[in-house]
Amino acid sequence: MKEQTAYLSQSIDAILAGAGSLLPEFLLAGFFLLLVTIDLFRSRTIKQLLPWLALTGLFSALILQFLGGYTSGGVQFLNLLRSDGLARFSGILFSAAGIFTVLLSLQSKVLEKLKESRGEYYALILMLVLGLNLMAKSINLLMVFLAIELVSIASYILTLTLKQEKRAVEAGLKYVLYGTLSAGVMLYGMSFFYGFTGSLNYTEGTFWQALLQADVLLVTIAAILVFAGFFFKISAAPFHFWVPDVYQGAPMPIVALFSTGPKMAGIIVILRFVAAFSDPVVAAYFDDVLLFLGIAALATLVVGNFTALWQKTPRRLMAYSSVSHAGFLLMALMAFGTNYTTGVLFYLSVLLFMNYGMFLFLQISEENFGVQKLEHFTGLGHKLPYLGVMALLYLLSLTGLPPLAGFTGKLLVFTNVWEAYSAFGKPMLLTLLVAGVLLTGVALFYYIRIPYYLFLKRNLTEEKLVISLSDKLLLAFFAVPLLVLFFKPDLLLHWIERLLAQTL
Amino acid sequence: MRLPKTIKGVALGGALLQLVLAIVLYLNFDGTAAANGQQGYQFVNKLDWISFSLGNLGRFQIEYFVGVDGISISMVLLTAIVGVIGVISSWTIKKNIKGYFLLYLLLLTSVMGCFLALDFFLFYLFFEFMLLPMYFLIGIWGGPKREYAAIKFFIYTLVGSLFILIVMIGLYTSVIDPLATAAQLGMLQTSGINPDTILQVQQALQQNAISGADIVRTFSIPAMMDPANFIPGSLLHVLSGTVLWDLPVRFIAFLLLFAGFAIKVPTVPVHTWLPDAHVEAPTPISVLLAAILLKVGGYGLIRIVYPIFPDAGAYFAVLVGGLGVLSIIYGALCALAMNDLKKLIAYSSVSHMGFVLLGLASLTSEGVNGAIYMMFSHGIISAMLFLVVGVIYDRAHDRMILNFRGLAKRMPAYTTFVVIAFFASLGLPGFSGFIAELLVLVGGFSAPDITGLLPRWLTIVAVIGLLLAAAYYLWALQRMFFGKYWIFPELRAKAVMSDLNAREYLMLVPLAVLALLFGIFPHLLLNKIGMATQGFTEFVLRNGQEQLQMVLSTIVK
Repeated sequence: MKEQTAYLSQSIDAILAGAGSLLPEFLLAGFFLLLVTIDLFRSRTIKQLLPWLALTGLFSALILQFLGGYTSGGVQFLNLLRSDGLARFSGILFSAAGIFTVLLSLQSKVLEKLKESRGEYYALILMLVLGLNLMAKSINLLMVFLAIELVSIASYILTLTLKQEKRAVEAGLKYVLYGTLSAGVMLYGMSFFYGFTGSLNYTEGTFWQALLQADVLLVTIAAILVFAGFFFKISAAPFHFWVPDVYQGAPMPIVALFSTGPKMAGIIVILRFVAAFSDPVVAAYFDDVLLFLGIAALATLVVGNFTALWQKTPRRLMAYSSVSHAGFLLMALMAFGTNYTTGVLFYLSVLLFMNYGMFLFLQISEENFGVQKLEHFTGLGHKLPYLGVMALLYLLSLTGLPPLAGFTGKLLVFTNVWEAYSAFGKPMLLTLLVAGVLLTGVALFYYIRIPYYLFLKRNLTEEKLVISLSDKLLLAFFAVPLLVLFFKPDLLLHWIERLLAQTL
Repeated sequence: MRLPKTIKGVALGGALLQLVLAIVLYLNFDGTAAANGQQGYQFVNKLDWISFSLGNLGRFQIEYFVGVDGISISMVLLTAIVGVIGVISSWTIKKNIKGYFLLYLLLLTSVMGCFLALDFFLFYLFFEFMLLPMYFLIGIWGGPKREYAAIKFFIYTLVGSLFILIVMIGLYTSVIDPLATAAQLGMLQTSGINPDTILQVQQALQQNAISGADIVRTFSIPAMMDPANFIPGSLLHVLSGTVLWDLPVRFIAFLLLFAGFAIKVPTVPVHTWLPDAHVEAPTPISVLLAAILLKVGGYGLIRIVYPIFPDAGAYFAVLVGGLGVLSIIYGALCALAMNDLKKLIAYSSVSHMGFVLLGLASLTSEGVNGAIYMMFSHGIISAMLFLVVGVIYDRAHDRMILNFRGLAKRMPAYTTFVVIAFFASLGLPGFSGFIAELLVLVGGFSAPDITGLLPRWLTIVAVIGLLLAAAYYLWALQRMFFGKYWIFPELRAKAVMSDLNAREYLMLVPLAVLALLFGIFPHLLLNKIGMATQGFTEFVLRNGQEQLQMVLSTIVK
């Protein structure tokens, strides 16, 4: 009994010692509870306050992580969560994604009309951001699983926000089925790892040393099983089948969140996982895993870009575009031996702005002008040049053309891959590089279809079309960073470098 | 549309200002100063743009680095001249004037930027940025099949520039800026800047004596031209010995870059976007496309591809020259078969740009001078040719050769200009086209003796191209302009076959004068470009032979 008490108090001490580093997460959790509680009141004015409350929570988390300084004296949280510079920067991105989601939701007419579960909706966004933060901080496989599940469950419910729509229900169902399946597979793989190593702390050297002793084939299989779960989150092939349906059925702000938040967090998790491969000894042992990763990246690039060519609705087009970006990110992660983290984080930051901008554009054109298919964009750019030009900026950035930050992001990725190739001469890297560059040409082919309808086709109807000032401001808000980060990428790169230098 | 006059006026003012500045630049340019592509740039402006530390992999820097030498000064002048002509020709545009002139000026900016940039990143930025205004200019203001032509143009050139992108990434991961590296090493504080510092840094680099963290990588094109600036062990280093598909990586890189610029030139197997783009584009945009956009391809070959990979340039001389001759003959044969006057001229462009490749591949001083002269002269003459087509299309809304006969009777002044343009283009002595073709052919014929790069029969075949050019122009002239006046009955209702108006004179007269001026006084241009091409050919030949030996020696082992 006494031993147990001693153990208990020890654990409590350890928890308290490390808790300081989780300040942003506590903040988010606190605001989540606050939102859920306040939602119980029936007063209309209080209901009006809900989004603003969520915004306050996300903003304070953003500022907190921006300022930093909550490191709890260098103590990690129970070997489970590590608050290093990587986690801090990604936390900033996640909070920003949450803020953008709420802003988009405020502009959305569909969500404005939503009578029930408005509080729930905003609370779950907070919950999702919390889960993303935990994903980025996890250094323990079980914690990764928990964090991914937290994100997934929030995502399932958010997909179903518009319950009365048939499409939403279908999307939600598919999402849940795929999600639980991949979660199960991932957990199965993790159990293998635990069996081999007796440890779940996958960022530690001993974990990989123990794996080196185990049977190669089994380790490879286990690794592939674990990656299945990660790939599901970042929507990489062959676990991307949920993407088009969910993008079609979920409310637009949520789609924007899915296209950025979980993808970023998944990439960070994979980044932490594959960090061990930068040691050539380990990498040589895990050759098959690397081959699998390379093929998956290639398949994701090919599937994403080529399937996008045949899409007829903007939402599905963006779904496959999001798959192709997952491919580029996976490719970036293959450049072991180079300093690729900075490039990946830069790409993720750019992705955040261009995806939110693009989805805001889609939301405006869907709700105000009834655009359901690509053809419905016809002539819109002539009627609303401002909207059209903004859309053009986002699309060019998504394609990766100068003078927009999407180009810089791709340039950094390709550079890292080239350097890794010239250092180690792996043919896989060259294949990825060439495929990535050439598929950019394919990407132009489908992205350009939107400006094609916007500007090249003419619509002869004479209706007056307007968009609100707040929409205009938001569009500019998402577009300006794309230009700034092209002309001055070192602003962000230097900052990322500084943050990454901070260990715990 | 509000204030159409003001918008046009602003555009014209901008283009005129650019012209004045270009002329001032041209006159102040010292043509006697030695230059060889790597050194000797004048009016250089260099500012730090992006510089970023990559930890133990060193730093990379992108600079705003512009300047002119004899090669680019001619292109700058050409761009400015054609820019003004294009605005005058755009005066009749009715649809969405603001958007049109906005895109037009953007296009002019990026072409000018291409000719001035000496930093590869900056060059690439302008090179890619040309596509977008062009896509919309063809796609919105073009003819009936404009969407197809616009997308074809966009995809073709984008794929080309992606090839260039791959090599650009490879180059900048391999090349250091010796001066900036010296600064990073702290060598500048002690001794100041002197030529020895650069040599010391290059020696230290080749001996692997500089730690990774101190290396400053660069996009600077002149730095890429010096093999001593390549990091040992990088894939594109002369002695890397890496082989890909049985070719050294440097050769692959050359081929990729060449493919990228060849699409823009365009050379025969990848030329198919050009006729489509020309046929659908409105007249002023055709003028810009033929007169200056195509030149970016040839200019890229001279400025970037050959000096950076002189070894591969020497190795693939027959390929480049052969594609040039193929373009000359195939383009001319296609032109002979065309019924659409604009398509005929588009194919004649393909044919004439083949001379640029041939002259460049010969790597003789005459040949390269001829290539640059050809780009300049073709810029002037093709602008005239497309304007002339525009005139008939404005009046009859049709430009099929067989639908017109005896136009000389109705439109004598117009016919005069058509004759001038056709004869200038087919290389009649006295016009600039003659000088250009003469120089290229002299270069091609002397190449087997001087440089040993091209077989003599290639140039002999190219001469046939001249005959074909005479054939398609004279035949078209005979069919459309001579004989009894007749136009196709269905066109008669709408056609108003009046002679040239003042605006058209304003565009055609200066161009005709320029074509004559540069045909009679070639030294006006050659004085400015001569030293640079002389230096360029010597530089490329010498480095080419040396580096080719080194590249091949590593492969044999």
